[in-house]
Amino acid sequence: MQTPDAQNLDRVFAALADPTRRAILARLAGGEATVNELVAPFGFSQPTISKHLKVLEGAGLVSRGRAAQFRPVRLNAAPLQQSAGWLGDYEQFWAESIDRLEDYVQVMQRKEKRHVSKRKGR
Amino acid sequence: MSASARAAEPESEREVTITRLYDAPARLLFEAYSKPEHIKQWFGPKGWPVTLCEMDFRVGGKFRFAMTGPSGRQNTPFGGEYREIVPNRKIVYDNGFETKGSGRMLVTVTFDEADGRTTLTIHTVFESIAMRNSHVSRGFEQGTNSGLDQLGELAAAMVAQERS
Repeated sequence: MQTPDAQNLDRVFAALADPTRRAILARLAGGEATVNELVAPFGFSQPTISKHLKVLEGAGLVSRGRAAQFRPVRLNAAPLQQSAGWLGDYEQFWAESIDRLEDYVQVMQRKEKRHVSKRKGR
Repeated sequence: MSASARAAEPESEREVTITRLYDAPARLLFEAYSKPEHIKQWFGPKGWPVTLCEMDFRVGGKFRFAMTGPSGRQNTPFGGEYREIVPNRKIVYDNGFETKGSGRMLVTVTFDEADGRTTLTIHTVFESIAMRNSHVSRGFEQGTNSGLDQLGELAAAMVAQERS
C-alpha cells in the first residue's frame, strides 16, 4: 500500500532510472520537440522513443501537445522539482553532512583550545 | 493509507540508521546540532547551503530549514518539532518537507562518548515503507542514483529555461 504521493515519486524515479529517458528530458529542457525530432539524435526507432515517452508521460514528466499532426512533447517541471526537493538519496545526504560535520567539529575544537589558552595566558 | 495500516508496517522495514565515530567530545557535536550558526556550517550536502534556518531548540520548539541548490533557487522548506532533548546525549525530532502529501519521519540522534571519541547515530523511522523506499536507494531499481546525480543539473536547466 502506498500513498498517492509516494506512488508518484516511485514513477518519477523509475522514469529517471533510464539513461535514454534522462537524455530525452535534457533535450526537452531546451524546448519542446516532436517525436521525429527526438528520434533523430538518439538512434532509436520511433516505437522505442514512443515507449520511453509513455513512461515519462505516466510519471507526469512530459506532456503532449494537442496539435494532431505533430503533437510536440514538452517537459513538465513540477514532478521533477518535487523529487529534487528530496535532495536525492537520504543516506547520501547524511554521508555528506556527517563528513562536513567532521571538518566543522575540528574547527570548533581549535577555537575552543584558543580560548582556553588565552584564558590561561592571563 | 489509514493510521492503523501504517502502524501495522514493521518499524524494521521503515528505518535507516547512519553512524559515524568522531574524534571529538559529545558536547561539541551536540553544540553543532543546537545552534543555527553551526548548522549552516555543516548540515546538508556540499553545494546545498542551508539558506533558511529557523530553530527554537527546546522540547516542543519548532525548526524550519531550506537549502539552496546549484540553480540558485531555494528548495522546498522542511522541518518539524523537537520532541526530546538530553544535553550532550540525545535529540529527537520529527521532520518532513512542506510539500502537500509529504510523509513525516522521526529522527533520533544520539551522541555516545567514550575515551574522548563520540559515536554519532542518526536513526530515522519513516512513516511508511513506501516513504522509506522513496528516500533510500536500496529500494530502487539499479541506476537510479546516476539519475539523481543528473537531476540537479536537469532542474537547473529547467529553472534557467523558465527564467528566460
